[in-house]
Amino acid sequence: MVEFLQFTLSGISFGMIYAAIALSLVLIWRGTRLLNFAQGGMAMFTTYIAIEVIYHTGSYWAGFVVALAAGIVLGTVAELVVIRPTLGRPELNAVIITIGLLILLEGLAGIFYGGQYRSFPTGFSVTGLKVGTTPLGISRFDVFVAAAVLVATLLLAVGFRYTSAGLRMRAAAFNASVARLSGIRVARVITVGWALAGLLGALAGVLVSPSTFLYPNSMDTIFVFGFTAAVIGGLDSPLGAVVGGLLLGVALSYTGGYLGSQVTALIALGILVVVLMVRPSGIFSGARVRRV
Amino acid sequence: MTSPAEAHGADGADGADGAQPGPGTKGPDAASLAVEDLVAGYGEVRALDSVTITASPASITAVLGANGAGKTTLLRAISGMVRPRSGRVLLDGADRTGRSPEDMARARVAHVPEGQGVIPELTVEENLRLGMMSWPGIVKRRADRSAALAEAYERFGVLADRRRKLAGTLSGGERQMLVIARALVARPRVLLLDEPSLGLAPRIMTQVLDMVVRLSQESGITVVLVEQNARAALAIADRGVVLNLGRVVAAADAKDLAADVALRHHYLGF
Repeated sequence: MVEFLQFTLSGISFGMIYAAIALSLVLIWRGTRLLNFAQGGMAMFTTYIAIEVIYHTGSYWAGFVVALAAGIVLGTVAELVVIRPTLGRPELNAVIITIGLLILLEGLAGIFYGGQYRSFPTGFSVTGLKVGTTPLGISRFDVFVAAAVLVATLLLAVGFRYTSAGLRMRAAAFNASVARLSGIRVARVITVGWALAGLLGALAGVLVSPSTFLYPNSMDTIFVFGFTAAVIGGLDSPLGAVVGGLLLGVALSYTGGYLGSQVTALIALGILVVVLMVRPSGIFSGARVRRV
Repeated sequence: MTSPAEAHGADGADGADGAQPGPGTKGPDAASLAVEDLVAGYGEVRALDSVTITASPASITAVLGANGAGKTTLLRAISGMVRPRSGRVLLDGADRTGRSPEDMARARVAHVPEGQGVIPELTVEENLRLGMMSWPGIVKRRADRSAALAEAYERFGVLADRRRKLAGTLSGGERQMLVIARALVARPRVLLLDEPSLGLAPRIMTQVLDMVVRLSQESGITVVLVEQNARAALAIADRGVVLNLGRVVAAADAKDLAADVALRHHYLGF
């Protein structure tokens, strides 16, 4: 029973990271119907920026904040420079460009920072928490991970639901033509969506890297898990992204705990295939046909 | 009992060239709209071929014609959804040709597109709030927003009861009221209405068209109305324009068009 609780809590912690990546994918998908294959690469790059800041300043929090800011900048620049020119052209163009951007970022990271594995510090203790003498299988840092993503998600949810900017983003996502006729500058809204996606990706990067080490391809697997979470929840649903991330995190934690970590990627792939076969729109999306 | 539509049709004698005053009370900033030699299309298809129309302030201009005549494209070219290949769109004499839909909305040209104006995933109130997105920043105070919503709910009582409901749950008539209400929240000077009665029961259609008349009379809005029901449209319009295959084949006072039997039979189907 204790083991089960440990796996569950650990799964929630990792699941929140998958949720952050999934949410970043959903933000872009809703606005542009584009799957950003560079999301993991962007998160990796901003994490390298964070580690440089931490090494130079000695402050984890300085690196944390700079990484988030860098995520916003990188998302904005990516949209303006490489995605905007593809608007109005075949969708495959933009998809291929995001793959090219991923290769570019991973290449640049290798050139600038080298290909070796680097450890990433944490902002809180990684010593396991206990209730009495019973270890919970999670640390203060794991609690911080879950709380940080939860706060970011709640802020986004409140912003989307209750602010004028959120209404603009939702209107642009649901019906760009009506949004434009209402005076909403949809292109600007899309840029903001990329900026927020960059921020969420950066958050996921700095939160997961203490567990995975940092290297140019370090976010590839996390991206796949995040993508799986987004598909589980439904690419159109921010709530689905979070729930999908949590479900996947817990499922992979049980799998890794009971069956061994070598099968987790296989299980993730199996879940992805099952969801695509049984409910291709995802748990939280309406039953609509979607181009993939 | 005479409906506002009938009353307006009886009085309407506005010259579309702007030389004669329009009926009803003109708003302080009613705008004139002119389209000169407009050419627009999609790919190799030329949907509009040297179309010229004028609409004087606070008037209703009905744009009529068969399917494929270019009516919807004309509205889309005015509102910026389609970029004209040549010609001009003038708002109060100022050239607005090729401006983006966002810019035209901010110039207070509201376009209610055919059958797709509501965002069903948003609530009724959120749909209405979209109408405020074109307001200049300086007037976006909470009091102004509340007043605009209160005015919309007063005018369209059925929406007030459903303000928290998703727009997707509304009936066809209620949806049409919602898109018109949203357009009014934008405080337009020019209202482009594309098939507002599409899919509505005859009774609801009459209500919607009566509403269009009231808007023009009470708020001084210049209305350009695309409508398949030519008889109903001419009954409320001051001016009529008949398109066929992208060209203007007739433009005259609405009552004169309605009296032209040959034209009606040939192009308007009644």
